[in-house]
Amino acid sequence: MDDLFAPSDVSWTPVSPKLAAVRRVSTAIALGVLAIVGLVSFGMLLDWLYGVLALVLIALGYLWAWVLIGRNQRSWKYAEREDELLVSHGIMFRQLVVVPYGRMQFVDVAAGPLERAFGIATVELHTATPATDAKIPGLHPDEASRLRDRLSALGQAQAWGL
Amino acid sequence: MTEPSAPPEAPPITEPVMGARLHPLTPFVKGWGYFVVAAFAMANNEGLRSNLKIAGLGLAGVLVGGILLGALSWWFTKWQLTVDAVRVDSGFLFRRTRIIRFDRIQTIDVAQPFVARLFGMAELRMDVAGGGKSDGRLSYFTYDEAQRLRATLLLRAKGKHAVQHQAPDVEPEPLLVVPTSRLLGATLLSSTVLASAGGLVALIVSTTVLEAHTGLFAGLPLLLGVVQPIWKQVVGNHGFTLSETHEGLRTKRGLFDVQRQTVPPGRVQGLLITEPLIWRLLGWSRVDLDIAGVAGSKADGEDENEGAQLLPVGERQEVAGVLARVLPGFDLSAIEMHQAPERVKWLRPVGWRYLAYGVDDNVLVTTRGWVSRRTSIVLHHKTQSVRLQQGPLQRRLGLANVHVDTPEGPTDAIALHRDQAEAAALVEAQANRAREARRTAESVPAQTHPNEPSPDGFNSSAASPADDNSAR
Repeated sequence: MDDLFAPSDVSWTPVSPKLAAVRRVSTAIALGVLAIVGLVSFGMLLDWLYGVLALVLIALGYLWAWVLIGRNQRSWKYAEREDELLVSHGIMFRQLVVVPYGRMQFVDVAAGPLERAFGIATVELHTATPATDAKIPGLHPDEASRLRDRLSALGQAQAWGL
Repeated sequence: MTEPSAPPEAPPITEPVMGARLHPLTPFVKGWGYFVVAAFAMANNEGLRSNLKIAGLGLAGVLVGGILLGALSWWFTKWQLTVDAVRVDSGFLFRRTRIIRFDRIQTIDVAQPFVARLFGMAELRMDVAGGGKSDGRLSYFTYDEAQRLRATLLLRAKGKHAVQHQAPDVEPEPLLVVPTSRLLGATLLSSTVLASAGGLVALIVSTTVLEAHTGLFAGLPLLLGVVQPIWKQVVGNHGFTLSETHEGLRTKRGLFDVQRQTVPPGRVQGLLITEPLIWRLLGWSRVDLDIAGVAGSKADGEDENEGAQLLPVGERQEVAGVLARVLPGFDLSAIEMHQAPERVKWLRPVGWRYLAYGVDDNVLVTTRGWVSRRTSIVLHHKTQSVRLQQGPLQRRLGLANVHVDTPEGPTDAIALHRDQAEAAALVEAQANRAREARRTAESVPAQTHPNEPSPDGFNSSAASPADDNSAR
């Protein structure tokens, strides 16, 4: 059943596990701030017991997020077919995007500070419609620039009119 | 409509500028609303009304200031045609140069807002893919000059094939005129108006019978919901006329602001047929078009998707005729529609019966909606991407959605809730069809592209730096 979202006639490339690391760190930062705010505000207003309870809940939530992030990272993969780029991802909400290279308007390579620290980047392919959601996070910078160059070369070579 | 302040500026380009100015009455036509508002504000201000001298002085000051600003803006706005683009220089504090390449122009219209029409002037609207609506406006010219310029630009934008057609722009024979009575009837029976009217009646009943006055505040938006669509449809679409010219289908509509729009045949990305509940009983439907560059400019707030209308309300055979004009040889009824599986009723208890899709060699058709039925038609060779989606509930039921993405516009071709194996196969098939369609469209410039040079002008990433000033 699983191969519905990943047809087996092409070779799929997984994304780097560092993506999970980046997401875990950013989630940790967000939840950490929330935890401190929760602890202090509950502790000051009600009782420190509630504060600790909030902390425990957030910690449990983080554990769950840890697992989900890992599964989600493993679900990201992409494939370069002769004429199309395929991107597949998601566990709960699964999606497979098929974008012909010729439809490409431009390619973005982006990397935030955390992503840079971990040495990954995101490649996003834009077509004439924002509905196209062809984004590949968690690529090694070299792979990202290789992909960008390849995509723009293919996009130029196969450019279709609007 | 009228904007007294200067538009946002881009970095200056210091180059000597040649070029022509717009019509000298431009500042007045553009700024009339400003004067009206100023006068209105004066008249309404109690403090000022009691002291007419100050009011008069203030008004005079506003008038002089406005005229001065308008005149300055007019003086510094120049346009010219270069080898491959229209160049517009504007702004007196911050210079701005906009270059609109001919090959990027998707449609060119001549519009006449009400005041402009009083003075016999017209505005040239060039729609550029990906640009905002206001980006390609050049106003004002005399009507004749605007028509001439439009003809010239169309020739340049579409290659030299059309040169021999440089006949004076006469009103072509209308294919179809939508009677005002039908427009009015259709609007009165449309879902928004009916819902708002129902709400209004309920509100009036509740306030008079139950004396619940708190609800009165809801009355205004509801009243607007009744009046605004009627106004928009009946006034905006008054005398809607569809005609065929050598440049493509042309629409003309409007009571006060006459809008003309040409739809170049190769630019159609998709069609949307909407049939609200009651219209269906009468056999009426509306047809909207996706045209690259026309839709998707809602950011400008004005009249969203305004240009994309092909038929505000039409009877069945009119709709069929219009479809056949836009997509030669296309017959909607000939396409075999595949219904969604019955288990979809767990997700859509009523609407599942209306979910269907169908495919032929050129288009994909999807239908959905039971209150207002939407039929989307997208062309294979305009497909931007294909997506397969599945949520957790759908996975339980073994269902998946297939999206066929076309450039922004009213059309949204989604084959909702298909059996997942079928959906996966459809994605694959659509990708193949898009590839095939594009190949055949390229080798044989099909009859849908009569005047176009084969590399469709709109090249992918080669954006010229000056033409996307609009930060999107």
